[in-house]
Amino acid sequence: MNITMNKPATNQAKKISSHERPTKVDVLEICDLHANIGKLKILNGINLTIRSCEIHAIMGPNGSGKSTLCNVLMGHPKYEVVKGSAKFNGKEILELDPNERANLGLFLGFQHPLEIAGVSMGNFLRLARNLNLKAAGETKQISPMEFMPMLKETVGLLKMDEKFISRSVNEGFSGGEKKRAEIVQMAVLKPKIAMLDEIDSGLDIDALKIVAEGIVETFKKTGLGVLLITHYQRLLNYITPDFVHVMAKGKIIQSGDKKLALELEKHGYEKFPKVDNR
Amino acid sequence: MSVPVSTQKIIKNTLGEYKFGFKTRNKAVFKTAQGGLTAAMVKAISNRKKEPKWMLDYRLKALEIFEKKPMPAWGGDLSGIDFKKIHYYLQPQDRPKNNWEDVPKDIKDTFEKLGIPEAERKFLAGTGAQFESEVIYHSLQKELTKKGVVFESTDIALQKYPEIFRQYFGKVIPAHDNKFAALNSAVWSGGSFIYVPKGVHIELPLQAYFRINAENMGQFERTLIIADEGSSVHYVEGCLPAGELVSNGHKFTNIEAVKTSDLIVTDDGKHHKVKALMTRPYKGTMLKIIPVSRENSFRLTTEHPVLCIQRKINWLPEVSTKKLMATKPEYIPAGKLKKGDFIVYTTPTKTEDNEIFTEDLLKILGLYLAEGSISFNKSLKLNALAFSFGKKESEKNMAEDLILTIKKLGHKASITKSKGLYYTVISYSKNLIDLCLTHCDKGAHHKKLSQTIMELPVEKQKILLKNYLKGDGSVYIRKDYPSKMIRAGTASKTLAFQLQEIIARMGIYANISLPEASQDVIGNRIITRQDQYIVEYTENKKFNEVRRKDNNYFVPIKEIKSENYNGFVFNLEVKETNSYLVKGFAVHNCTAPTYSTNSLHSAVVEIIVKKGARVQYTTIQNWSHNVYNLVTKRAFAYRDAEMFWLDCNLGSKLTMKYPAIFLMEPGARGEVQSLAFANKNQHQDAGAKIIHNAPNTTSKIVAKSISKGSGRSSYRGLLKVTKGARNIKSHVSCDALLLDGASRSDTYPTMKIEESEVAIAHEATVSKIGEEQLFYLMSRGLTEEEAASAIVNGFAKPIIKQLPMEYALELNRLLELEMTGSVG
Repeated sequence: MNITMNKPATNQAKKISSHERPTKVDVLEICDLHANIGKLKILNGINLTIRSCEIHAIMGPNGSGKSTLCNVLMGHPKYEVVKGSAKFNGKEILELDPNERANLGLFLGFQHPLEIAGVSMGNFLRLARNLNLKAAGETKQISPMEFMPMLKETVGLLKMDEKFISRSVNEGFSGGEKKRAEIVQMAVLKPKIAMLDEIDSGLDIDALKIVAEGIVETFKKTGLGVLLITHYQRLLNYITPDFVHVMAKGKIIQSGDKKLALELEKHGYEKFPKVDNR
Repeated sequence: MSVPVSTQKIIKNTLGEYKFGFKTRNKAVFKTAQGGLTAAMVKAISNRKKEPKWMLDYRLKALEIFEKKPMPAWGGDLSGIDFKKIHYYLQPQDRPKNNWEDVPKDIKDTFEKLGIPEAERKFLAGTGAQFESEVIYHSLQKELTKKGVVFESTDIALQKYPEIFRQYFGKVIPAHDNKFAALNSAVWSGGSFIYVPKGVHIELPLQAYFRINAENMGQFERTLIIADEGSSVHYVEGCLPAGELVSNGHKFTNIEAVKTSDLIVTDDGKHHKVKALMTRPYKGTMLKIIPVSRENSFRLTTEHPVLCIQRKINWLPEVSTKKLMATKPEYIPAGKLKKGDFIVYTTPTKTEDNEIFTEDLLKILGLYLAEGSISFNKSLKLNALAFSFGKKESEKNMAEDLILTIKKLGHKASITKSKGLYYTVISYSKNLIDLCLTHCDKGAHHKKLSQTIMELPVEKQKILLKNYLKGDGSVYIRKDYPSKMIRAGTASKTLAFQLQEIIARMGIYANISLPEASQDVIGNRIITRQDQYIVEYTENKKFNEVRRKDNNYFVPIKEIKSENYNGFVFNLEVKETNSYLVKGFAVHNCTAPTYSTNSLHSAVVEIIVKKGARVQYTTIQNWSHNVYNLVTKRAFAYRDAEMFWLDCNLGSKLTMKYPAIFLMEPGARGEVQSLAFANKNQHQDAGAKIIHNAPNTTSKIVAKSISKGSGRSSYRGLLKVTKGARNIKSHVSCDALLLDGASRSDTYPTMKIEESEVAIAHEATVSKIGEEQLFYLMSRGLTEEEAASAIVNGFAKPIIKQLPMEYALELNRLLELEMTGSVG
C-alpha cells in the first residue's frame, strides 16, 4: 500500500503564527525504500512523505523496522540500501554522509544516545550548529556569547540543570536525562525534519510530559516536520499527530489520523491482518 | 612593567635550530666523530667541558657498564639503533650562556620561531602588559637568585656548584641502572640543574626545550632537580618543531601554525583552502634560495618544486623584459635552480574597499605606524595614544597638522612639548585607540596591519604608506636621473613584509634587508638600530633586474646555499592549485618520498623531593618519527613530600619511558599521569613505576594511550610495596583508545606486594572508537574526521587540562595534526 497522504496539516500546525511559518516547505520523500543489514531484509518498500509543519507517528510491533527506517534515513553505515530513494527537497540523500544529511536539515533523536567523554555538551552543540550554518552558506558563525544564552534557555525549557551544558555529552546522564538532552539538541540545531526514535521509552510520566512539551514548543517555533517512532499511545496524548502509520515487516500497512493510534491502543496489533508474529 | 607570573618563562637549553626554511645557521663548534663510542671520545667530551676528574672517572666507568650491559630484550624493538652512527656530542656555541644578551642571535631567532613570544602575545592581547622576552628573562632570573634558587644548565652547575652537584648527581639513577642510563652517564651534555632552597615556592613553571638537530645526533641531556624541605617547583620540558613563513594574504604565518581549511594565498594570488598540513622527518641537503631582497630568502628540500623561469643559455645577464615575458614560469625542483634564474613573487589580488578608511583616518594610522605608541596612563586610568615628533619646525607643523586631522574626525587631542623639546601629540579617544590597536597593533616589534587594510584598494594603501614614510622613511633623489629611492625602517618583521606587499601592489618590488645593529640618521634624528628591517624601493628606476607581470614579479636568484639538515620539514596540500607562497614566492607542494634515519634521545632525569616539598615535572614531546626516545626518569620522595610526573608522548619511532617514584618515608605521595599517541610505525611503550618503601604512603597512576593507523601503545607499570610498608593506598587506571582495527594496545601491569595491609585498586579499559559514536556525532553535522578528533580530544582532556595553557593549546593542535591523517 502506498501512502502519500497530502491533506493539509492540522492541529498544532494551525497554532504556528503566520510570520513564523516557514516560507519554504521542506519535503522528505521516501519512495519504495528497501534496506538490509547483512543479508537480512529489514525494510521492504517504504513510501512516506513528510513535510514541514506535519507530525507523523509510526507505530508497530518490535522488529517491524521502525528504528531501521530512521537509521537508514540518517545514513548509518551498518545498513545497506538495496532499492528505492529518499529525497530531501528533491535532492537524493541516500548517497550522502550522515553529516551532510544533518547539514541539509535532517535530525535523528537516538533511542540510545551515545556517551562522549570529555566533549562538553555546550561546545559540541555550538560546533555542530556552526557546521550546519557553514554548510548552508552562512559566513557568520555563532559566538559563545550568542549561543550560550539560547542553549541555557532551551535547557531550562526541558527542566534540566544548566550544568549539563558543561558536562560531557550524555556521560553519566540518566536514561531520562539523555532523552531530554536529545530534545535540547534538536531545539538548538533547528533541523527541518526531525526523526525521534522511541523518544518516550524509559521516561516516567513527568519526564514524558516535559519531553513532549519540548517537542511541541520546537514544532511551534520552527514549524519543522516530525517523525515520531513510538510503541505507546501515551506520547500521542501530548503530541497530536497529523498522521499515524502502522508498520510491520518493513512496510507501512495502514495509515490514518490519530484515531488509528487509539484503536491500536485498544485492540493491539492483532486487529491488523497483515501483522503476524514472526 | 609587571608580567603575569603564569606567563613568565625561562628559555634555556637549546641545541640550535631544526626547521625548514630558516636563516639561522647551526654553528657547531665541536662535534664528536661518527664511528662508535670510545673512551677517547668520552675523554674529549669531558676535557672540552673542563670537567673535574671525578666526573671524567664517572663517565669512563659508565662507559664500561654501557659496553657490558646487553640491549634490553623486553619492551620495544631496538634493533634500528646503530651506536656507531651516532654523534655523541655537539656543542652549538662556545660556552653555555647565562645572560639573554649573551645568547647568540641564532638561538634567539630559534625561540622566536618556536612561537614562544607569539603564544605570549596571544595570551596578553587585551591586557596592558607588553611581552619582552629579555625583560622576563631578567626579572625571573633576578627573582630566582634573590630566593637562592639555582636554575642553570647542568654543565654550568657542575662548574659553579661542585659540592652540591657531586652530593646528588647519579644518586637516584646510578650508571648501572640500565644500559641507556649508563650511556647517558658516559656522554651526557646539557639539561637543567635546579636547586630550590628550604621553604621556597616557585609559582611559575620553569621551562626548557630540547631538540635534536644535527645528522644522526644523539641527545643525552641530564637533569637534576633538588627540592629542599618544604619547597615547591614545577618544571616543564617540551619539544616543539616549527617551520617557514607562508602567506595568508594579509600576513605571513609560520607554516606549522597553518590549519586544515585555513585560507592561504597560492600562485594565482587568490585565497585557497588548505587541505592538509604534512610534516615528515628529513635528512639531507637543505637549499637556501636567496633572491634579490635577502630577507625573502627561504629554505627548502632539493625535491621541492619552485615556480621559476630558468635562464636560457643565450640570455644576456640583463635579459630583455620582452624575452622574459614570453617565457612561461614552470615548477622546477629546487635542486635544479641556478643563480640568475627568476623565481616568482606573487601579491594577493583580493581587494575590498571599506568606507571607514577615509583619507584622514589613513593619515593618522600611517603616522601611528611610524611614530605612535599606546600606553596606560596610571593617574588618569586611561589608555593614551601618543605620537612623538622631532624638535624641528617641520616636525612641529606635522604635529599640528595631525591634531587638526584628529579633531576633524571628531576626537580630542593635545600637543605637548617635552623636556627634550620634542613635540608629542596625545589623544585619549577610546574610539581612535581601538582603531589603532585593531588595524596596526602596538609595540615597535609587533606593529602590523590588519587584513582589512591589506585588502584595501591600492590608492588607499598609498595614502597610508605616504604618511608612514613621513615618520619612518627617508628619501634620496638622484640628480642625474629623476629616480627616487625610498627607505623605511621598522623593528616589526611582519610589518616589513606587509609593506613589501603593499609596495608590490603599487607596482614596485621592494627590497628587505636586516643590517647589523647600527646608528643611522633618519629625518635628522640619530636612531640606534636594533634589528631594524629596512624596506627599500626606487621609483622611476632606470633599470630594474626584477620584472613585473600583473601581480607577479620575476625576481632573480642572487645566491643558492646548501646545508645539511636533519629534522622535520613541513608541507601543505592546498585545494585546486596545490601551491603556496613561501616568503611571497610560489612553490608547489612537495611530492618527495618520506625519508628517514634514526636518532637517539636518551636522557636521564633525577629528582629529589625532600620533606614536605613538592615537585611537578611536565613533559610534552613530539619527536621526529625517526627518534628512539629512551629516557630514564626517577624521583625520590621523602616524608610528606609529593612528586607528580605529567608525561605526554607524541611522535618518535619508539618511546620507552616509565617515570618512577620511590616513596621513601611515611606520608609521601606520588602521582604519574601520562598520555601517549602511537601513529603509524610508532610504538609508545610508556607507563609508570611506584615503589612504596615506607608505611602510610599513597600513589596514583593514570595512563591513557591512543593508537591509530597500526600504531602500537603499551602500558608497562610496576607497583611495589616493600615489607613493612603498611597502610598503603594506591590507585591505578589505564585507558586505551584504539582508532581502528589495525592498531594495537597492550597492558603489562606488574604488582609486587609484600605487605598485607594495603588498599590497591586497578582499573583498565580498552575501547575502540565505535561506529555508533562516530555516527552519533556525524548525525549532528561533524565530518568523520571531526568526530574522531572530538572523541580523541575528549579522551585526552583529563590530562590536557592539567597542562599550562600554552602547552594545552599546543597539545590540542598536535593531536589535531595527528588526526588529520597526514602525518607519518
